[in-house]
Amino acid sequence: MASVSIASVNKSFGSHPVIKDVSVEIADGEFVILVGPSGCGKSTLLRIIAGLETINSGTLAIGDRRVNDVEPKDRDIAMVFQNYALYPHMTVAANMAFSLVQRGVARAEIERHVHEAAAILEIEPLLSRYPKQLSGGQRQRVAMGRAIVRNPKVFLFDEPLSNLDAKLRVQMRGEIKALHHRLATTMIYVTHDQIEAMTMADRIVVLRDGKVEQVGSPLDLYDHPVNLFVAGFLGSNGMAFFRGSYRDGQFVSSDGLNLPFAARGDLEGRDVVCGVRPDDFILTDDGVDATVDVLEPTGSETQMLARWGSQKFTSLFRGRLTAPPGSSVRLGIAPGRAHVFDATSGLRIDGRQSPFHA
Amino acid sequence: MINSRSRLAIALYALMAVLCIPFLFPTWWMITSSFKPVSEIFAFPPTLLPRQFVTDAYGRVFELQPFARQYFNSLYIAAAVTAGTLAFSSLAGYAFARIRFPGANLLFMLVLTGLLIPSEVTIVPLFQMFLDVGAINTHWPLILVPMLGAPSALQTFIMRQFFSGLPHELEDAARIDGLGRFAIYRRIALPLAKPALAAVGIFTFLYSWNLYLEPIVFLSSPDKFTLPQALTQFVDAYGGPMWNIQLAAASLTAIPVLVVFVIAQKQFIEGLAYTGLKG
Repeated sequence: MASVSIASVNKSFGSHPVIKDVSVEIADGEFVILVGPSGCGKSTLLRIIAGLETINSGTLAIGDRRVNDVEPKDRDIAMVFQNYALYPHMTVAANMAFSLVQRGVARAEIERHVHEAAAILEIEPLLSRYPKQLSGGQRQRVAMGRAIVRNPKVFLFDEPLSNLDAKLRVQMRGEIKALHHRLATTMIYVTHDQIEAMTMADRIVVLRDGKVEQVGSPLDLYDHPVNLFVAGFLGSNGMAFFRGSYRDGQFVSSDGLNLPFAARGDLEGRDVVCGVRPDDFILTDDGVDATVDVLEPTGSETQMLARWGSQKFTSLFRGRLTAPPGSSVRLGIAPGRAHVFDATSGLRIDGRQSPFHA
Repeated sequence: MINSRSRLAIALYALMAVLCIPFLFPTWWMITSSFKPVSEIFAFPPTLLPRQFVTDAYGRVFELQPFARQYFNSLYIAAAVTAGTLAFSSLAGYAFARIRFPGANLLFMLVLTGLLIPSEVTIVPLFQMFLDVGAINTHWPLILVPMLGAPSALQTFIMRQFFSGLPHELEDAARIDGLGRFAIYRRIALPLAKPALAAVGIFTFLYSWNLYLEPIVFLSSPDKFTLPQALTQFVDAYGGPMWNIQLAAASLTAIPVLVVFVIAQKQFIEGLAYTGLKG
């Protein structure tokens, strides 16, 4: 077990910078998820930690050891790849044992480690099979088994669930989390799926264009996104955004509508974007009339696509409601649940700043 | 009962059987005629099976020339060329597919131009070269030229294409597992390359086995001859071919080719099931 320290790391492919001055401290035993849209550099950052990519500048440390120039095999890490990267010409047992054989571990001990890991993952009956004889979920387990057998200080996962179907993904998500509880080893996990990030991580690192946008616990990021990008990226129904400005202490949308956001005298005349999570809309007589476009009941909750002026948004209500398309409902915003961002910089400008903001 | 479906199948097989004749008949004629006396080979109407079954020709093959020795020559040269080419083409192919070094593409283009040069063009300078080092009338030119020269360019190309298709993650995983570059080639890439190696092996073996121009240029004493060259030497005092003996020698010459094909064909089929990570 070990902490991981990434300090001012830069990486370019040719003249194209892909990691720009990234610094992240990962505590011992922590489950950290690197998340961001494709091309944001999250996989590259993971490969840098693994030692599969060199860095141009900065310092990378695992535990107390600076590992900038240490070979992957000597970093005491294990990695699970998106396509599993099992050796097709070796049995499951041989795949799992391979790294230990390389290190010259005694045969009996290898056998013990492989069986222990196989027992944890319930893949003992598969040990004599070849990867091509396994299903996707089984391959995924074997890939994790191969990592566990090494007993590494840090586990690295590179989008390990993206080749699985939706149901299996949910199941494996739970299993990886359970594995983390059981092993209590530092895990660094890359995904583009914000739900995976929200549900599994102790802390999330949001990356965009090779830069860290925000680091924090899932709910901290959800409740206090530092900018429009993070606000829009996290949450399964994207945050609703309204462009406008404050006039006479009131938020006026770009359509000239007075919208029910809290009064902010300090923002007088400033162009802002106000954001609301879909579930932070409330039905209230004090609200503002919104035109209903579509109503989507799912039983336990109802999703409503509606408009304030020309600005469309999604809102989510517990329970059921009836409102024919074209009708209007009075909507307000739950007190203290609005997010205000500067229209030009995209940065959050309301009261509290996240202690982890980049 | 014969339904229309099986009737169609019968018709199809009949057609295929007819189409096989042009390919099978020469082999049939070669083997059966090697057991006929010369007079029967030219008899009219021709006989499909020898009326008079004689095996004299097979004995004469070994009396007229050191045929066993020549057979051994061809075998060991083809084996050496195949082994060498597999080693060189897989190493070079792997390097071109996986190692980035300055000028890699240019160098690869240069290798490919080797495919465009006919061996007839280079044979005179090669003769001069081997004469200078005293390797004329030895087997060195027949071993070294296909292994290191233009003929292995195609094999390098095949290997490079194969290695380019192997997933990079396999090598990443191997690096984390503690393998160096050569160990990755030897223990991960090479075992997965069996289908490509089988293809390269069979091509190379046949190429060396059938080589004709090079042996007649480089070799002059009968105990050094290879089989294709030796076959032309079964002639009478007037230079006319001794048909039954030539056909007996040719039949013997065809055996290893058939053996190699049967072995490698099995590899090819295994190769089809060997699709790497997908599936």
